[in-house]
Amino acid sequence: MRWRHLDRSLFLWLLVAGALLLLVVNPIARLLWVSLHSSSGGLTLDNYVTAFSRWRYVQALLNSLILGLSVGVLGTLFGVPMAWAVSRTDMPGKTLVWISVLGTFIVPNYLSAVAWILLAGPNAGWLNRAWRSLTGADAGPFNIYSMPGLVLVVAAASFPYMFVFTRSALDLISSEMEDAATTLGAGVWRTTLRVTLPLTLPAIMGAFIVAFLEAIAIFGAPALIALPGRFQVMTTMLWQFFEFPPKVEVAAAYAMPLLALTVLLFWLQQRIIARKGYVALTGKGGERRLVRLGGWRWVMLGYCLFVTALSFFLPMLVVLQAAFAKAWGRGFSLDNLTLHNVRFVVIDQPLTRAATVHTFLYGGAAAVLALALALTIAYIVRRRLVPYGRVLSYVAMAPFVIPGIVLAIGFYASYTAPPLVLYGTAWILILAFATRFLPIAYANSDAALRSINPEMEDAVRILGGGRLLALRRVVGPLLKRGLAGAFILVFIPATRELSSAIFLYTAGTQVLAVLLFDKSDEGNFEYLAAIGLILVLGTVALVLAGFRLVGRDFMLRRTAS
Amino acid sequence: MRQLAALLVAAVLAAAVPAQAFEGEKELYEAAKKDKPFTWYTAHYNSETAAAVCNGFEAKYPGVKCNYVRTTAQVAYQRQAQDQKAGLAVASVISSTDTSHHGRMKKDGWLQPYTPKNLSELIDAFKPFNDPDHQFVATAAGLVLLTYNTSAVSEKDAPKKWTDLLDPKWKGKVSIGHPGFSGYVGTWVVQMKKLYGWDYFKKLEANKPRIGRSINDTVTMLNAKESLVAAGPSATTLESKAKGNPLAIVYPEDGAILMVSPSSILKNAPAPNTAKLFIEYLLSKECNEIMLKNHQDPVNKHVKPPAGGKPLAQVKTIRPTYEEIDKGIPEVIEQFRDTFGI
Amino acid sequence: MSKLVLTGVSCHFGRVAAVDDLSLAMASGEFVSLLGPSGCGKTTTLRMIAGLLHPTSGTITMDGEVISSPASSLPPEKRNMSMIFQSYAIWPNMTVAENVGFGLEVRRLARAEVRAKVEKILDVVRMRHLSDRYPSELSGGQQQRVALARAIVVQPAVLLLDEPLSNLDANLREEMRYEIRRLHDEFHITTVYVTHDQAEAMVTSDRIAVMNQGRIEQVDEPRALYARPRTRFVAGFIGRTNFLDGEVRGDEVVFDHFTIPRARFPEAGALGPGRVSFSLRPQSIHLHRVQADQRPPAVAPGACVVAGRVVQRAYLGEHWDYAVRPAAGELQLRVTARPHEVFEVNESVWLELDPGQLAHIHDKVAHP
Repeated sequence: MRWRHLDRSLFLWLLVAGALLLLVVNPIARLLWVSLHSSSGGLTLDNYVTAFSRWRYVQALLNSLILGLSVGVLGTLFGVPMAWAVSRTDMPGKTLVWISVLGTFIVPNYLSAVAWILLAGPNAGWLNRAWRSLTGADAGPFNIYSMPGLVLVVAAASFPYMFVFTRSALDLISSEMEDAATTLGAGVWRTTLRVTLPLTLPAIMGAFIVAFLEAIAIFGAPALIALPGRFQVMTTMLWQFFEFPPKVEVAAAYAMPLLALTVLLFWLQQRIIARKGYVALTGKGGERRLVRLGGWRWVMLGYCLFVTALSFFLPMLVVLQAAFAKAWGRGFSLDNLTLHNVRFVVIDQPLTRAATVHTFLYGGAAAVLALALALTIAYIVRRRLVPYGRVLSYVAMAPFVIPGIVLAIGFYASYTAPPLVLYGTAWILILAFATRFLPIAYANSDAALRSINPEMEDAVRILGGGRLLALRRVVGPLLKRGLAGAFILVFIPATRELSSAIFLYTAGTQVLAVLLFDKSDEGNFEYLAAIGLILVLGTVALVLAGFRLVGRDFMLRRTAS
Repeated sequence: MRQLAALLVAAVLAAAVPAQAFEGEKELYEAAKKDKPFTWYTAHYNSETAAAVCNGFEAKYPGVKCNYVRTTAQVAYQRQAQDQKAGLAVASVISSTDTSHHGRMKKDGWLQPYTPKNLSELIDAFKPFNDPDHQFVATAAGLVLLTYNTSAVSEKDAPKKWTDLLDPKWKGKVSIGHPGFSGYVGTWVVQMKKLYGWDYFKKLEANKPRIGRSINDTVTMLNAKESLVAAGPSATTLESKAKGNPLAIVYPEDGAILMVSPSSILKNAPAPNTAKLFIEYLLSKECNEIMLKNHQDPVNKHVKPPAGGKPLAQVKTIRPTYEEIDKGIPEVIEQFRDTFGI
Repeated sequence: MSKLVLTGVSCHFGRVAAVDDLSLAMASGEFVSLLGPSGCGKTTTLRMIAGLLHPTSGTITMDGEVISSPASSLPPEKRNMSMIFQSYAIWPNMTVAENVGFGLEVRRLARAEVRAKVEKILDVVRMRHLSDRYPSELSGGQQQRVALARAIVVQPAVLLLDEPLSNLDANLREEMRYEIRRLHDEFHITTVYVTHDQAEAMVTSDRIAVMNQGRIEQVDEPRALYARPRTRFVAGFIGRTNFLDGEVRGDEVVFDHFTIPRARFPEAGALGPGRVSFSLRPQSIHLHRVQADQRPPAVAPGACVVAGRVVQRAYLGEHWDYAVRPAAGELQLRVTARPHEVFEVNESVWLELDPGQLAHIHDKVAHP
């Protein structure tokens, strides 16, 4: 092998590939290993036995499945009609609906849970109070501390995924399909139900699975609602295994079925989406004409606003009220207004100040790291720079199927003992966040790269520049816009991430999500709301900045032209 | 006459002198200024009070910073355990409301002994709760008693003893914490079991109580009128009442649970001198006056008890023994989980 | 010494051989086209020359030094070549001047020198007035010229062009064909040009290599390629032609209902016994009117005459397209006639064939 012929950038690619494997595979491998060993080191299946021997534990698993299915169904009911209305009809107020969907996306699920406790707490919730005063009944009908309550909160928080997926698919269907039906005499509804929606079925099923996966992996909302509601789900159970003395081995064993389930479902989702037999919904859509709904437009708008009221307007209203209230229970009166909560949180409390700084710092660092890694890996895979490169793309997407809390346990198992002790530092959080959101970064980087003709880089190389120069002078600048969007798509969830932070933080590395959650055990909802408000406002500011930089559609990931 | 004047002057001068400094305070202060940052894991009081205590410490000793992490007792212990396991030294002082935690930490060799100079300031009744080897000292006290919302419950109807919580008229309206999180609740559960057997909780379950995590959750529930009666903490309830909320406390006829919560210095404390200074401070008049302002029961004998409450000496209190707590809390956690399902 | 030599080069993708045992030698300053239909392997060959692909067997040598082999290959950036891509690959984030100057910057030339060279080459391609524009503001032809300028300004040892004109409209294509040839003549760069358009290849090239299914069927100058195609594929690919299949029997070559004496053929000796095939260009057949006396017309010395009948005709303005059936057979010959040579369908005609114009073709490529 002549030295002159060697492409020196090969070493860089191998290094990055190795870093990826370490970051993603190590925690999960550790988790598996730990689940099969006792705390004294011997190989054993005892942990699995312990994990599933008590009925309570198994029941938590069943509860998770119920939660997932219900959230999938409810999320579909929320998201699909809304997507159809926005994409294909002449319903008015689309901008408002779209903004509220975006708002739902921004509000973290645990804040929304807090808001719903204020709204539908069985005795004191606003809705129950209103009911009681309207109907004179003894008790209100809503009890948030129940499985239906949890399903509502989680579905309201995750329906944006259904909306976005379905809408993207619907946007690509040309009106010709529907015209063919209407010329044969079918009315609007029949056309929609028999032609339009079936074409989007793969997208809807894919989104259902995503909603299911989200629901069974979620931690914040169940911790706030399920515990007082006296039932457990898998994620809260895992948290319980970490109570002193932490039974990491049992927790690891308990987490395995969750992991297996998510892998299975994800595989299923990929199969569904990849099925031929439906019209290819990629590339250019045909011309789209809007379906005229007549008087039904207002009904649809009403439905959309009802859903977004549940997911965004009502929660934000109560959060605002509580954040500025002396005692939230006293209601909307002028003498109940105060800036004290916000001031305490922002100014007086050094802990919140530190937590705010940490939140955005770690989130930013994680986003940069995830993006750099994802882009390099996407480049390596697309340009086939190392043998068996495709494996790397699977590894990069793997964290998608790992629930946040499971990943955190894996990180905990890997990095709290020598050789590499990261526990207690900010790095363990940054790395956990970066790993958690690597799939988003990867999917976006891959899409952005696909839009660049490889001949651009070939042209650089033939003129004497190496690969790295091509990356720096051509690929990088061309990807700027796409990457800015991807950065924000990672940054936003990273700043609100709770489930992986809950195990890995220490006194010096608190983030707002954990602070909010910790404070919830003191039940000081006014402060909670103030903290939540800061988090939401911070995120909104970032999203607006994102819009400026990248354009309105950056959340609907499309390939650049 | 001149003698009287001299006495008067001395008295005035004495009164003008700031709170009694203890012997060696200045040296400790200087040493503390050079220490690494000081972190305090505490389950005592609530966040606001902990913040106030910390701020008071910084105000009294400028140049020394105080960071606190306020969580429930189990969480605090868990944090410390995680830190120990990872070989990390984060906290310098730990204050749990579960005395058995301190016993276990002592046994595991996590603590270092220190005899505070301000020990003489401690209320005599609390001194038996200190560790004979000086590895933990009582720095906070409180009561678990019956609390209720006055806007929905009249004084006549309010519960007077613990068994009143089992009355079906309170079905769905009782609030308690969870022993798996809170040291206060854990101790209360052990005591109730001691008094009435586990049947007490089986019957309580039938009343469908609202179960939170911290004992302070009961205050929120009452404020929100989510629950109307509770087994709650005296201090936080009174503090909330002072803010204008419709709350009241009742000293149970069968005895309020006396909670004496200790603090310890960790052996691997990053800021050992600050830690010692802090322990002294926790026993000092200034700190206890701050605690008082936050409606906590003071432990300093020179500080008067909070308004609306009686001095601890005058209340019928009961309390499990140290051994009962040590063995009992892990036991009752499991039983509680089985009975209440979470 | 040859500038660029490909010896037995193959490129396999899995089992499929995109390029199969290809050999070609190019002299310095020569303009060679790789001509063939899509999928024949011409672009793959070009990319191997560029170093963007590695051969699975064989070697590529430049100036005597091996630059590509299955074991190792010199990276593209070290080959001192230039390439013009089908998509032009002009970088949208740089101006015309920056695009063109890029190669010079990489070669670490001084800024002033870069500027001077860029201006000069932009003058040559007549793009100087657009030097500060961005590619999105340029038309297809203008982008094409930027690509040319960028490739030539670095004075590469070899210039590679990958179907550069396929995205342009017909008029522009014609203009650019001449432009490319002109630039080649001015700078004397060894050039390899890939195209599927035989007119482009004919106009620009010194030699053309006709490729089919990964192999070169024939390498020759354009005129020789046209007049004397050596395989059926080459004959059919370059221009239109007639295929005459016959059999050598003794002294005669027997076709479908007519014969031609073997001695008339220029390569009479090479016509072995058995089946033979020939390619005959439509312009090489002349039609004569049948006179009243039915006698064969006077024709050029050495030519043969066959009676036939017009079966179809089409008038294209510049010429007539006739389909004529010679003798009584099934064979149909296409004949190109000048506009004034008008014949009716079903009219009897005399076909004048010159055996010298009959090119002996093989079915398969014989040897490189």
